[in-house]
Amino acid sequence: MMRHLRTASLIALATALLMGSASAETIKIGVNEPLTGAFAASGTYVVNGAKIAADEINAKGGVLGKQIELVIEDNKSNPTEAAAVAEKLITRDKTPVMMGAWGSSLTLAVMPKLMEYQVPMVVETSSASKITTMGNPYIFRISPPSNVESAAFEKIVDKLGLKKVDFLVINNDWGRGTADDFGKMMKAKGIQIGLVETMDQGAQDMSAQLSKIKASDSETVIVTAAVDQLTLLFKQAEALGMKKRIITTGGSQNPDQIIAQAGAAANGTMHLTTFLPWFPDKTPNPEATAYFVSEWKKRGFEFAGCTESFRGYDGIRTAAAAIEKAGKADPEAIRAALWQIDVKGLNGDIVFKKSGPAGKESGQSQPNVYLIEIADGKVAMKSF
Amino acid sequence: MRLILSILAIAALASVPLWLSDPYLLNALITTGIFVIGAMSLNLLLGFTGQLSLGHIAFFGIGAYVSALTSLGFDVGLPFGIRIVHEPWSPLAGFVMAVLVSALCGYLVGRLSFRVRGAYFVIVTISFAEVVRLVALNWVELTQGPLALTNIPPMSVGLPGLGEFIFRTKLHNYYLVLGVAVACYLLIARLVRSHVGRAMRGLMENETLAVSIGIDVTKTLTLAAVVSAGICGAAGSLYAHYIKIIDPEVFAFINTVTMVIMVVAGGKGSLAGPVVGGLIFGLMPVALRPVMAPEAQWIAYGAALIVILFIMPRGIVPALTQWMPRLRRVRRPSFSKRGIEESA
Amino acid sequence: MSELLQHLVNTLVLGGTYALLGIGLTLIFGIMNVVNFTHGILYTFGAYVMFIVVQKFGLNFFVALPLSVAAGWLLGALVELTLLRPLRGSDIDTTMLVMIGAWIAMQSATLWVWGGVAKSVPTPFPDAPLSIGPVSVSWLRLFVLAAAAALIVLTYVLINRTRLGSAMRATFQDHDTAALMGVNVDLIYTSTFALGSSLAAAAGALLGPVYVVYPAMGDLAAVKAFAIVILGGLGNITGAVIGGFILALAEELGAGYISSGYRDAMGFVIIIAVLIFRPTGLFPRAERVG
Repeated sequence: MMRHLRTASLIALATALLMGSASAETIKIGVNEPLTGAFAASGTYVVNGAKIAADEINAKGGVLGKQIELVIEDNKSNPTEAAAVAEKLITRDKTPVMMGAWGSSLTLAVMPKLMEYQVPMVVETSSASKITTMGNPYIFRISPPSNVESAAFEKIVDKLGLKKVDFLVINNDWGRGTADDFGKMMKAKGIQIGLVETMDQGAQDMSAQLSKIKASDSETVIVTAAVDQLTLLFKQAEALGMKKRIITTGGSQNPDQIIAQAGAAANGTMHLTTFLPWFPDKTPNPEATAYFVSEWKKRGFEFAGCTESFRGYDGIRTAAAAIEKAGKADPEAIRAALWQIDVKGLNGDIVFKKSGPAGKESGQSQPNVYLIEIADGKVAMKSF
Repeated sequence: MRLILSILAIAALASVPLWLSDPYLLNALITTGIFVIGAMSLNLLLGFTGQLSLGHIAFFGIGAYVSALTSLGFDVGLPFGIRIVHEPWSPLAGFVMAVLVSALCGYLVGRLSFRVRGAYFVIVTISFAEVVRLVALNWVELTQGPLALTNIPPMSVGLPGLGEFIFRTKLHNYYLVLGVAVACYLLIARLVRSHVGRAMRGLMENETLAVSIGIDVTKTLTLAAVVSAGICGAAGSLYAHYIKIIDPEVFAFINTVTMVIMVVAGGKGSLAGPVVGGLIFGLMPVALRPVMAPEAQWIAYGAALIVILFIMPRGIVPALTQWMPRLRRVRRPSFSKRGIEESA
Repeated sequence: MSELLQHLVNTLVLGGTYALLGIGLTLIFGIMNVVNFTHGILYTFGAYVMFIVVQKFGLNFFVALPLSVAAGWLLGALVELTLLRPLRGSDIDTTMLVMIGAWIAMQSATLWVWGGVAKSVPTPFPDAPLSIGPVSVSWLRLFVLAAAAALIVLTYVLINRTRLGSAMRATFQDHDTAALMGVNVDLIYTSTFALGSSLAAAAGALLGPVYVVYPAMGDLAAVKAFAIVILGGLGNITGAVIGGFILALAEELGAGYISSGYRDAMGFVIIIAVLIFRPTGLFPRAERVG
């Protein structure tokens, strides 16, 4: 056993050393996602979305007459590994453009490598505002940072008639960013801000925080967390008899999973989301949405994953469009082309606007944000 | 013999960049090397005093944060209206501060927790690491919390008359890590062979006896903790200036586990153990990556760990040093348990 | 005032589950002296068995519970026979590392088979909570509390009032004498580990439906279990129960009245403080082993 393992690893190491760049038959796109570790579920969804995009593009003849090839690597939900994966994708696989790396700390760890090797990356999920304001000209983000999300929410906030809100957010860049940006926006609107409570990433029992919020005098709670924690929160809020209005943000909610797992507890909750797989005709690109959703179902994935995986789909289509526009699989040409593309994404047009210090701006697109409500175990558009 | 082996090993490691130009593997070697330094510091506690610290990553993380904050500067308010504004210093000053602050933390933890031993010590160290992680996560004004410290400058050294040397490339960083690793190795080797080192092992083998011949338990153990924490802080500083971003994830328990694996699988209480174990378990994920699915890589990693310990329960290096003379058919008078460990 | 009452009710519910986590580990870590990193994965295992039996096979919730406990017993026995028995007598660090290897491999295998997406286990309890005045508690949590109490009492009786229990205590106090007295030492090692494991699986089976089921769910549970065991004193079942409630109280009040960001720090701060002032835990065993 032992010897076999050793031999296997030695062979692996040797082949890895010998195989520098593979054949030039395909155009490679690097995918740097968490497939194991804390974010395994989300990273896997994004990769599955990415595969749909690649297959679709290849079925239509590929890009520049060549097939595209996704080089998918697991960053183990670990920043050090995310940087190492970027190193591998760029120097070993010679990918001229990459997509990654889900969480903000993972993306932040990759960013120095982009500067070092001058290779652009499409950021599909990370929400820390820092990513596009640090002056890294190789970053092109299609997901909305919390300030973009709060700006979109500003347009509908008046109709909700909020008076005083509490926040319950996951204790990471995403949750903290949301509490800051939404708080500022609401204060400017004359809405009072009450408690700002946090929960650890991975915490399972939020009864203490919820009990505190239950006893406060606000009527609405803004919640930012990934789907698993949201499910638990709704169940626990119901168990505590908390009757406040809950609005979730972040676009990572998977309302279907919430309905399936939290049951009646999810009724009456509202969610700010960036993709509407339930209502293809309400999306900016109904045809593509219908195709994506049907393909997703055909491959046997859980429908609930759509709200996560569409970002992988959009990310790869963005990268492919840039390669097409550049006319060659060259990092610098692709970087320049990313500024010029206009992709019909599943949640709006992907057009990059400049963000960050002059001369070395990052790209940020402005996706649409929708407010949906769960009523009687079904997802409904919130209408006013 | 031992000296020749060591020089050969260092020469071999130093020659790596001459024949290996692949930046990905060089990157893996640098990060592995940084964790090997951490593992060596853990070995000083675990292997030579018998105290298992499962929170050793705390010192690593503290080193990383101190070094990053020293070189980035900060502006933080404290209770009673005190405000501390710190202008950025050089990364080298960050490195020195990292070693000093980590060593100080080592002193405090050592003083407090050597009152408890064994399992209790394990839990105190885990708790310490968790508390430090939560402070790093929640003291946003100082550490930026989960928003991470970014734009950390690369390590640089001011050379008199030659200006500033900046460790920009992987080649520079490789030799930097190698240099620091060799220095730490020599420091630990010197310490464990000194009378303090003998006192440590005396305590590990028979505390009552050691105390009765006048060994000051707390002083000896605290010294080990201070040196160990300082070295681990140095590793953290190298990490911060190489990876260039630090967030509270650096305190992840899996990072402590990685160091413990390097030490115990390599052979605790042997100086070369953490280096051999570190290179094997640090580079194994690199070797596994191209051959199997991500989940399978972890399964293989766990299985390899179990298999190695079944074949060599005391670790790789002690097992090898035990087998080697047998292979050469050199019969030595039966050596004591300690003798084997010292010979490594 | 109503907020405080609610916090105290939460503490009671949470403390019961923490206590259950603690007693399984105190047997293995406290009595057998194995730093058991597989405790968390057995917790996860119990939850997945529950999920498979209820969701996939459609069996009754109350049938699935004992099945999970039995499966935990078997897996625990298997781990003891294959991984621990060959290493008996080796260093505590070596066995710990083997347990770490088993933890990494088993958790990754779970991820491989079931994926990372969290599963939920349907329960026969009503969604609407039991509300008395200003405080509410879910029926499921009340059932979990009652089941945990029953398991704790059962374990206590097993260890302190039965022949098997006294054989266990004898074995880990003085291995050789117990063997001379005709105790089947090998059997005792396996059954103690299996018993501790089945309690971990029971905790997972009870809490899986309360929370959600995913591969890494046991990690946090295991860390808390270690903390509880230390608080209560190694090998002390009553201590582990009290330790569980203390940890729950500290977390509730810490999050409620200090800062929710430091919720998980409360437990650790208490541990550090307790160990500084009472280095053998709050309730040290009278008969220390090893």
